[in-house]
Amino acid sequence: MGVMTLGVGGLGAARDPGTVIRTHALGSCVAVLLLDPGTKTVGMAHIALPESRINNGKAQETPGYFADTGVPALLSEMKHLGCNGNGRGMIVKLVGGARIMDPNNTFNIGKRNVLAIKKVLWSLKMGVVAEDVGGNISRTVAVHVDTGRVVISSSGRNDWSI
Amino acid sequence: MRKAKRGMAIKEEILNRVKEIPPLSTSASQLMMLMGKPDRDLQETVKIVECDLGLTAKVLRVVNSSAFALMQPTTSIARAVSYLGEKMVLGIALDACTGSILRRPMKGYEGRSDALWEHNLMTAIAARRVAGFAKEEISSDIAFTAGILHDIGKAVLSEFMNGSAGDIVSKIDAGHAADYISAEQEMLGMDHCTVGFEVARLWKLAGPLPEIIRFHHTPARAQEEVRAPVYAVHLGDIIAMMGGTGTGSDDMMYCLDAGFSDYIKISQSDLEKIMLDVEVEFKRTRSSMFGREDETS
Repeated sequence: MGVMTLGVGGLGAARDPGTVIRTHALGSCVAVLLLDPGTKTVGMAHIALPESRINNGKAQETPGYFADTGVPALLSEMKHLGCNGNGRGMIVKLVGGARIMDPNNTFNIGKRNVLAIKKVLWSLKMGVVAEDVGGNISRTVAVHVDTGRVVISSSGRNDWSI
Repeated sequence: MRKAKRGMAIKEEILNRVKEIPPLSTSASQLMMLMGKPDRDLQETVKIVECDLGLTAKVLRVVNSSAFALMQPTTSIARAVSYLGEKMVLGIALDACTGSILRRPMKGYEGRSDALWEHNLMTAIAARRVAGFAKEEISSDIAFTAGILHDIGKAVLSEFMNGSAGDIVSKIDAGHAADYISAEQEMLGMDHCTVGFEVARLWKLAGPLPEIIRFHHTPARAQEEVRAPVYAVHLGDIIAMMGGTGTGSDDMMYCLDAGFSDYIKISQSDLEKIMLDVEVEFKRTRSSMFGREDETS
């Protein structure tokens, strides 16, 4: 079984059965998961921040770091594996976007990440089918290419799926 | 009554375990003292390193690692120190004497090997950046040094909390404990901040360092004159957790003290830029110190 592990800002796609794509400790970051039922291709991006305008150089070097560049870059990566490239018919899932305990929501980057990703998806006429976002939980997520099963884990909790 | 007695016994056991923490090396202590002096000279750092053979070897190994991509390997300590910077030299010195406790798995927090050391390092880098946003000037060097030691108490508490991460997380989720600090206190009668303070006293850490370690989750309780650097470490700690570099089951389960805005002027956009810069510096430092490369990105 091949495992593709993504770091912060990393993105990757696979269509080989038996492959697992995963990313660790999302914190306020969000994992965007795209599953293409037609080609049985799965892609994931580990998005850290909402907007690339704060550092265009970083966006060019690591497009997966930002929501506005990460989603199109992931689609492009999946196109190389035979997907249509426009996202039509793809299943979208989101995981992560946690926040620190703060009733004032002062620095809710997690929420901003989720909203920025959804904005990009809406512009591409794509909608989120399932999500496990927010809360005070740092999540690790893995997606199995052959089944499309998304497994989430976090220290001190039993694994769960969406 | 029996519960109170048991609580006292656990506290005593924890404090006994604090006494078993390895001492700081002479060079690490000297480097920390030096970092507290605003008028220091880089040559003083060079001298401290040169007097410690083990540290000399480690500094040269790091500077000649692939992360720094020097054209020619160097054997000059002066050049190595100048290239690495004082803070990384301090990090190497601290790793040499505390690595055995900071790099082991954090069973009580279900954290992997290196998790505590990496979290401390990222907090230190973030705290130093945050210090630059203080309303009144504070030492970014002190913020860095305090950051790199701020969670030392977890190294002691971890074994006393073995097997309890699930219960604590459930309690917090259900609203029966306000945060991880409260849960630690309820379970053991002490939290990682107070235990860290005891370690700081044992190590005779100078200046505001013990106070910063003690109040990094409750900055408003620190003395007014050190509150700004305490807030810098408080925010640095939160930035590290948000960036996914926490210590395990307690990630994100602490409260942000909104009082930071009286001492540190930082916007959402500033925070995002800091997160980005900190992540880049953290990766580079981790790669050079631990030889650990990041995953696909």
